[in-house]
Amino acid sequence: MDGTQPSEFSSKRDWVPSNFDLRDTWFPVAYCADVDTRPVRRIVHAQDVYLWRDFGRIVAAEFRPDRVSQSLKVATFFTGGTGYYPVVERYGYIWLWYGNPDARHEELIPNIPFLPLDGKGIPRYTQRSVRFDAASLLSVENLIDLTHADFLHANAIGDNKSESDHVEVASTSETVTRTRIVTRKSVAPVMRWIGGVRAKYQDLRAVLHVHLRNNVCISYPRFTPGYAIPNVQPFVPVGKHRSRVDQTNYTVHAPAPFRWLMPRISYVIQPQDNAVLRQQNARYFESAERRDFSSRFDRPGNRYRLLISRLAERQRQGDFSYQTDADLSADIASVLGMKD
Amino acid sequence: MNNGQWWAVGLSDAIEPGHTLAVVCEGKPIVLFRDEAGQAFALEDRCSHRRVPLSPGPVKPGGLQCPYHGWTFDGNSGRCTDIPNLGREERVPSSYGVTPYPVAEANGFIHVWLGDWAPGEYLPAASYRKTGIEYTGSAVVSLARDHYLDVMLDGPECLLAFTGVQITDFFLGDPRQDGDHLVLDRGAIWKGKGVGPAFVRDYPLVVRTSVPLVGGVITVELLSVDEEPLITICIAATENRRGTTSLCWRGGLHGSTISDSTMRWRFSRVIGRKPFEVFSEIDGNAIAALQIAPSLERIWPSSTASGSYSSFSPEVC
Repeated sequence: MDGTQPSEFSSKRDWVPSNFDLRDTWFPVAYCADVDTRPVRRIVHAQDVYLWRDFGRIVAAEFRPDRVSQSLKVATFFTGGTGYYPVVERYGYIWLWYGNPDARHEELIPNIPFLPLDGKGIPRYTQRSVRFDAASLLSVENLIDLTHADFLHANAIGDNKSESDHVEVASTSETVTRTRIVTRKSVAPVMRWIGGVRAKYQDLRAVLHVHLRNNVCISYPRFTPGYAIPNVQPFVPVGKHRSRVDQTNYTVHAPAPFRWLMPRISYVIQPQDNAVLRQQNARYFESAERRDFSSRFDRPGNRYRLLISRLAERQRQGDFSYQTDADLSADIASVLGMKD
Repeated sequence: MNNGQWWAVGLSDAIEPGHTLAVVCEGKPIVLFRDEAGQAFALEDRCSHRRVPLSPGPVKPGGLQCPYHGWTFDGNSGRCTDIPNLGREERVPSSYGVTPYPVAEANGFIHVWLGDWAPGEYLPAASYRKTGIEYTGSAVVSLARDHYLDVMLDGPECLLAFTGVQITDFFLGDPRQDGDHLVLDRGAIWKGKGVGPAFVRDYPLVVRTSVPLVGGVITVELLSVDEEPLITICIAATENRRGTTSLCWRGGLHGSTISDSTMRWRFSRVIGRKPFEVFSEIDGNAIAALQIAPSLERIWPSSTASGSYSSFSPEVC
């Protein structure tokens, strides 16, 4: 290889297995509506991304627009030495290709069946950005994990008392799907007092579909009586210690004022999670000699850890391909239970 | 292998029954807690499930409960006694647990044993005796423990003050070894009486600092010229993170009367003013300017310190 060309493994930033820096995937790095002619900065795996619009067309670069031409010598493998990342607008997000630019395919953007493909008509009140004080892996694990809610979020989302509570896990080489079926659970305070659900109990079927490479979490919780609160939580890995989530809580079909207020519950939940994630994250940098103990309630999270490790190992061996069981663009409406 | 020693890590009255206290000792995070019966326990402040601190969690009949997922750990054994939502037929594996630390309380201090050997009998704060009204406190100071001990010998006025008293930097001899401690006296004068320490023929007061060579607690005494104790402070110092030191202290006035004290001293006693202060914030300029002098004995105790190692004899030219 020509020494002047960016090498696939020439930079430490290219591949850090300990951080599960998984490649060849699309990251939703910003809401389309947040980017205009003035550049905004985002960070993916400690790598700078500058976004702006040029005559309406989205541009994503490793450097500020006024520095791209003089910085090409240090452009990385991720932009093929051009300084510009492949980028696509879909579902109201700007999706940035993180990996070998020649391996990009738009079919690898996850399907989100409840959002309009072109992103048009998504109300701004459904979009909220929150930051987590932990690596994306721990943040996603926190989302997959159900048993912490009773202790950390009881005041916001209720006591989780129910007649039955059943959890199923399914997976492919690229995704983990957790389905929770709860009967006769206490109605969450937020849904009772703002959502107008006057019943004492309600049933819940909540599906969480997690994409391993880019941490895009697509969730479809459906309450009966009540309504569905479909949402997307893409945990963009800012670095080893922080992650950013541009959420879309698509509450457009819920009654007012619930549809406006529900997306803001993130501002209550997120600090509660951060109170533990911040400390937890630091401790995962300590010696790995002592492994975590687990109970059967940790199966979904442990499945997630296992699949992430397998994927990381494949990539460590140089295999960045998608296996045949992974069709990310396939309609997942039935997986989410939207058609039941 | 660490043979181990007792560390005084907290004040007994800092933990009410059913409450917790997070401390750091030798850089290790430890949670202290009391059950409803008042018994104190110490556990590693790290849940073995998902590593979050246990200290913000509630105290339950079965032990201390993790605030994240509710795993509960027995204070004596460290064993996990409960994982919420397990069925009646399910048992928590016996290997599940966190590290427990032996605990002993004495003279208002909670001691924790850190080490591989069985706990020893001697407790650092065993020699402390409450006198009159007690004054207590705790702080984390931005000075490493070793330096804190050194400064306590070289310039205790940088770390604490006695009300109405000026501590001088004239050492009365060299440090002498008393058991596991280095003891040093220095002169002190009454503030506002006379024209200053340089003109004092005999110091009316003595400040005696006793600094541990290993583990232990620091004792600082204000003595009359007749070596009658006026004030005694017992300071426990343990290594915290990032070069900081955790302190907790107890101290008070003795009943001794002193004839040549100042009006200020006597008035302060009448109104019940606090007789001493242990600084929570330390002046870096003062520390940096301090000469390294008696603390050299902590580094090379066998070469110059007098006292129990009397076999040392000065070289004769």
